[in-house]
Amino acid sequence: MKLRKHAWIGLVLGIILVGALVALAGCGGGTATTTSSSTPAGEQPVKGGTLNVYINEPVSIDPVDLEESEGTQVGQALFDSLTTFDYLTMKVGPAAAASWDVNADASVFTFHLVPGAKFHDGTPVTAGDFVYAWNRLCDPANKSNVSYHLAPVKGFDEVQAGTVKELSGVKAIDDNTLEVTLSYSFADFIYVVAHPTLAPVPKAAVEKDPAAFSAAPVGNGPFMMDGTWQHDQSIQLKAFADYYGKKPNIDGIAFKIFKDPETAFLEFKAGNLDWTMIPTGQIKATQDQYGTSDDGYTGNPGKQVQLGSELSIYYLVVNTKDDIFKNPDLRQAVSLAINRQAIADTVYEGTRAPATSIIPPGIVGYEDGAFPYSKYDVEAAKAALTKAGYPNGQGLPELTLSCNSGGGHEDVMALVQADLKAIGINVKTDFTEWAAYLKKLDDGTFQFGRLGWVADYPIIDNFVYPLFKSGSADNKSKYENPAVDSALEAARKTLDESERIKAYQAIVKTVGQDTPVIPIVAYKHHHVTSARVFNLILSPNYLLDFQDCWIKG
Amino acid sequence: MLTYIGRRILQMIPVFIGVTILLFILRAPGVLPGDPIKLITGERAISPALYNQIVKENALDKPLWYQYGRWMDHLFHGDLGESYQLKRPVADILIEKFPNTLKLALVAILIECFMGMAAGILSAVKRYSFWDVLVTLSTSILVSLPVFWLGMILQVIFGIKFKEWGLPYLPISGMTSADFPGWVHYVLPAVTLASISTAYAARITRSQLLEVMGQDYMRTASAKGLTGGQVIWRHGLKNALIPVVTYLGLDLGAMVGGTILTETVFNWPGIGFQIYRAILSRDWPIVLGAVVIIVILVMIINLLVDISYAFLDPRIRYGRVAK
Amino acid sequence: MAPDFFEDPRRRDIGQAAEEQTFGGSEALAETVVAGRGRTLRTDAWRRLRKNRLALAGLVWICFMIILAASADLWVPHFFGAPTAIDTSKVAQQSLLSPSADHPFGTDKLGRDILSRTIYGARVSLIVGVVAVAIMVVIGLILGAVAAYYGGWWDSIVMRTADVFFAFPYILFSIVLIALLGFGLQTVFIAIGVIGWPSIARVFRSSILSVKNNEYVDAARAMGASTPRILFRHIMPNAVAPIIVYGTMSIGGAILTEAALSFLGVGVQPPAPTWGNMLSEARSSLFTAPWLMLYPGLAILTTVLAFVLLGDGLRDALDVKLKE
Repeated sequence: MKLRKHAWIGLVLGIILVGALVALAGCGGGTATTTSSSTPAGEQPVKGGTLNVYINEPVSIDPVDLEESEGTQVGQALFDSLTTFDYLTMKVGPAAAASWDVNADASVFTFHLVPGAKFHDGTPVTAGDFVYAWNRLCDPANKSNVSYHLAPVKGFDEVQAGTVKELSGVKAIDDNTLEVTLSYSFADFIYVVAHPTLAPVPKAAVEKDPAAFSAAPVGNGPFMMDGTWQHDQSIQLKAFADYYGKKPNIDGIAFKIFKDPETAFLEFKAGNLDWTMIPTGQIKATQDQYGTSDDGYTGNPGKQVQLGSELSIYYLVVNTKDDIFKNPDLRQAVSLAINRQAIADTVYEGTRAPATSIIPPGIVGYEDGAFPYSKYDVEAAKAALTKAGYPNGQGLPELTLSCNSGGGHEDVMALVQADLKAIGINVKTDFTEWAAYLKKLDDGTFQFGRLGWVADYPIIDNFVYPLFKSGSADNKSKYENPAVDSALEAARKTLDESERIKAYQAIVKTVGQDTPVIPIVAYKHHHVTSARVFNLILSPNYLLDFQDCWIKG
Repeated sequence: MLTYIGRRILQMIPVFIGVTILLFILRAPGVLPGDPIKLITGERAISPALYNQIVKENALDKPLWYQYGRWMDHLFHGDLGESYQLKRPVADILIEKFPNTLKLALVAILIECFMGMAAGILSAVKRYSFWDVLVTLSTSILVSLPVFWLGMILQVIFGIKFKEWGLPYLPISGMTSADFPGWVHYVLPAVTLASISTAYAARITRSQLLEVMGQDYMRTASAKGLTGGQVIWRHGLKNALIPVVTYLGLDLGAMVGGTILTETVFNWPGIGFQIYRAILSRDWPIVLGAVVIIVILVMIINLLVDISYAFLDPRIRYGRVAK
Repeated sequence: MAPDFFEDPRRRDIGQAAEEQTFGGSEALAETVVAGRGRTLRTDAWRRLRKNRLALAGLVWICFMIILAASADLWVPHFFGAPTAIDTSKVAQQSLLSPSADHPFGTDKLGRDILSRTIYGARVSLIVGVVAVAIMVVIGLILGAVAAYYGGWWDSIVMRTADVFFAFPYILFSIVLIALLGFGLQTVFIAIGVIGWPSIARVFRSSILSVKNNEYVDAARAMGASTPRILFRHIMPNAVAPIIVYGTMSIGGAILTEAALSFLGVGVQPPAPTWGNMLSEARSSLFTAPWLMLYPGLAILTTVLAFVLLGDGLRDALDVKLKE
C-alpha cells in the first residue's frame, strides 16, 4: 500500500504519464497479471459475438445525466472521460487525456488529449468538446442530476444560478489541450474526471436534435450505438472501428432491459443473458451450479459467480436531534447490539460483509474497524445501555425504526428488531414509501432509519464530506461537530497525499466515536456470467470491462 | 339514438373533469407526503438549480387552479408535459407503452373469446353433465387464482422446467428476444392476463345461453322439429352472445388499466407498470397523462359498447331515463 | 387483473345492463327480488344451499379458516413458534429449512415457521376481506338508497361520482389512496372499501327502483309510513339477496386485492405475515425453496375459491329465477 501511495503522490504532483495507449482505456479493466491468473490456461481471446447484458431501464445514457448504475454502465461503453481509475491496481490511468499537469497548489489542471481521437460520427475529439459538454452538464435548463461533479470548478455556482452560461474555469487552450481551474485546491479532482458523465460530446450532433442525441448518443468510446434506445426493451451497441484505444474482442453488446433481477435471472437460466444479477435467495445454488470467480471480479467458464466488494455501504442513520437518540451512549448500545454477520449471512447469503466503518473496503485509505462500536458485542451493548441510563431497557420507550418499503429491506429490519429486543430495546418498524420516507429524513421526524451510500470516486472525502458536514443536504443524522467541519475543510486543502489521507482517517474515527450513523454491511457483487464468456470483469464501482472479454461458442 | 349518444357524451364530461380534479387534488402540495421533485435524485440530495428548474417548467410555484387550467390547455394542444424522473415528454412515453399493452390485451381477449365461449357453450349444452361441473369448477378456480402466482407458476413450468426436460419451451419475459419469433412472447402473459376474464366469459355465455334456451321461442323452435344443435346455433347463440360480446368489449377497457401485475411478472413494457412506478415516485406528469388517456379510452369503449348494445337488442330503449 | 375483477368496470356494465333491463320493466331481476322476499326466502334458500355440495364445501372451508385464525394464539406459537419470532443467534441454521416434523411447511429465510405465518396470514386476509366489504356495503347502501329514493339531482350526483370511481383503473386508484393514507392494515381496508362502493350502490339502487313503485310500497306510503320505515321494512328485504351474494363474492375479491397490494409492496407491511407479502418474499427463492411460494398461494386460492363457491351457491339458492 505504502509504495503505491508514494507513486500516486508523484503522479498527482505532475508527472506526465506516457504510454497511454498501452494501458487500458475506457472502463478500468484488469491488469495483465489478473487476466493471466484467472483465465483458464491455454485460452486465447477470440474475436466476434454479441454480449447480452442485463440492465434496468436507465434514466439516461447521455453523459449530461449519467447518475445511476444502469445508465452509467451503458455510458461508459459509449464514452471515454479524461482519466480512468483502475480498481484492481488502485491507480488513475489515462483515457481521453494521454497525460496531464497539475500546478503547485493543485487548483489548475492541464489535460493533454490523445491526438487523432474521433467521435462515432467521424468528427475529431477536441478540447472544445469537453468545454461544451461540461457547460451543458451545468446548465440548469438541461436538468442534470449530476452536475455536482463539477462543483469544484470555478464558475460552477454562477452557471447553476443561471446568471452566466459558461464555466469560467474551463478553457480549451488549443484543440488538444484543456485547462481546468478550480475554485479551491482539490488534488482528488483527478479521480473526479474519471467519471463517464464528464465525457466529451460533439456539439453539432447534440444541437441538431437533442432528443435524438439522448436516445442514441454519439460518443468517443470503444462502442457505438446500433440503432436507438428501445425503452424498456434493449439498447444495442456495436464496436467502433475507429476507436483510438485498444479494440474490444466482441462485436457488440446487447443491453437487455428488465424490470427486476428475478425475471432477468430466469432469462439467464434460459440461456438468453451473458451477465446478470443473482437475486438474493439463489446465490448459493448459483455458486454450486456455475462456480465462483477466484478474485470476485473476473468471470470465466466454471468460475462465473462474481462476489467482489463494491464501493457502497448500507447503514442506519440515527437522528442526533431526537430527544432519546441525542444520547450517544444509546446510539453506541444500538450499534453494538446488531449481529451484522447474521444479516450478511442470512439475508444476503454471505454476499455482503459486516461493515466496521462508514467507509467501505476499496476506498483509498480504508481502515478496518474505524468505527469502534461497529461490532457485535451483546455484553458491551448492555453496558452501554446501562450507561445511557436505561439498564436492561428499563425506562426506554418503544423506538421507531423507519424504512422505505419495496427495496428488500424488510428482512434486515426484522433482524435488527430482534437483535435490539435481545438487549431489552423494543422497536417497532415503520415502513413507508420512498417519497414519504425521504420527507421524514429531511424533516428530522424520525428516530432511526436505513440508507445506503455509493461512492462516485474511491476517496474518503466522497463519504465524509456529504454525510457529516454540518448543514449538508445529505447529512440526514443532522450531525453537527465544529471540529469535524474544520478538519474537513483543512483536509481538502492538504496537498500531501499521505497527510491528507491521515487527516481523513482521523475524521472518520471522530465520527465513529459519536456514532451518528450505524454501519451495517458493505455491498458485494452478486452477479454471474454465462459459460460462453471469458474474462468479463466487473469492477468494484460496478462497471463491466467490455474491452478485455471474449465469447466462445 | 343520436340524442342518446349526445347525452352520453355530455355525461362523460363531468366524469372526465371529476377524474382530473381528483388527481390534481391528490397532487397538491401537502396532500401526499413528500416532495416529488426531491425524489428525482434518489438517496442523494437534489441541487437547488435542478429543483428550481423543474418547479419553473411545471409552474409548481403557481396556485393549483392555475396549474389545472394550464394542464388542460396543454392537453388540448396535445402536450402532456415532461416526466420529472425520466425527463422525457410524457406523450412520447405513452406512445411507446400504450400499443404494447393494447396488443397484449387484444391477444388476451382473443384467447378469452375462444376459450371462454367454447367452455360456456359446452357447459350450457351439456348441462349437469361431467363437462358442466368441470367448467363450473375450473372457472371458479380461475377467478380465485392470484394472477401473479399463476404467472410465476407458468414461468417456472413452461420456461424453465420444459427447457430442463428438453421439451419445447416458451419465453418468460419481455416482448422480443433473439431466440423466438415475436408472437411467442405473447403466449404466457396473454394466458395469464386472460385467465380470469376467460372464466367470466364462460360463465356469462353459459347463463345467457341457458336463459335463452328457456325462452318460449326456443321451445317453439324445438316443437317445430328443429334438432337440438340447430336450435342452439340458429336461435340460441345469436341472442345469447350479445351480452358476451358486450362483456368482451368492456373487458378490453378494463384490461388496459389493470395489467400491472401481469406486466410486473412478465417484464412487459406496457403502461400499467409505468403508471405504478410513476405513482410510487410521484411522477405526476406521467400519472396524470396516462390515467387521463385510459379514462378517455374506457369511456369511449363503454360508449361504443352501449351503442352497439342498443342496436343489437331492440328491447332496450334509451329514451326513458330522461323522464 | 385478478383483484380488480370484483369491483372493476366490467362489473358495472353487467350490473348496468341488468339494471337497464329491469328499469325497462320487463326483466327477471325485478321478479326475482319481489318473489324472493320474506321469511320463506331464508328457509328455502338454506334448503337449496344445503343441496349444493360445492357451496357447502366452501362454507366448511371458510369456517375452518376462521377457527384456525381465531384460535391461532392459543396453540400455534406453542407448536410451531410465533410468526415473527427470530432468534438472531441461530438464524443461519434455521434459515430456509425444507418441510419437516418440526416445521411442517418449512421455514423462510429468517427461520420463521411457514405454517405459523400462513395461519396468521389468514387473520389478515379474513379481516381485510370482511372489513373492507363491510365498508364497501355500508357506503354503497347509503349512497345507493339516496340515489334511488330521492332521485333527480341526488341520483345524478351519486351516479356520476360512481362513474368517476369506475373510470379510474382500480388497482392504480388503490395504490394512490394508500400513498395518500400511508401503509397499514387500516389503509388497506379503506382503500379496498372506498373504491368498491359504487358496485354495491348500483345493485342496491336498481333493487330499490324495481320495487319503489310497486303496489305494496304505494300502499305503505298511503298508510303514512315514514321514508326510513318504507326503506327498511319494505325495500331492504328485497335488496338483501343480491347484496349478500355480491358481498360474499367481494370478500374473495378483497382478499385477492390485499394479496396483490402486498405483493407489490404497498399492502400490509412486514414483519406482519400476510399471504401476499409471503409470496413477494418467496419470489426470490423460487428455485431454492419452492415451498415458500406454494403454501401462501394455495391458501389464497382455496380461501378465495371457498368464497366464490359459497357466493355462487347463495346466488343459486336466493335466485328465484333459477328455482326449478
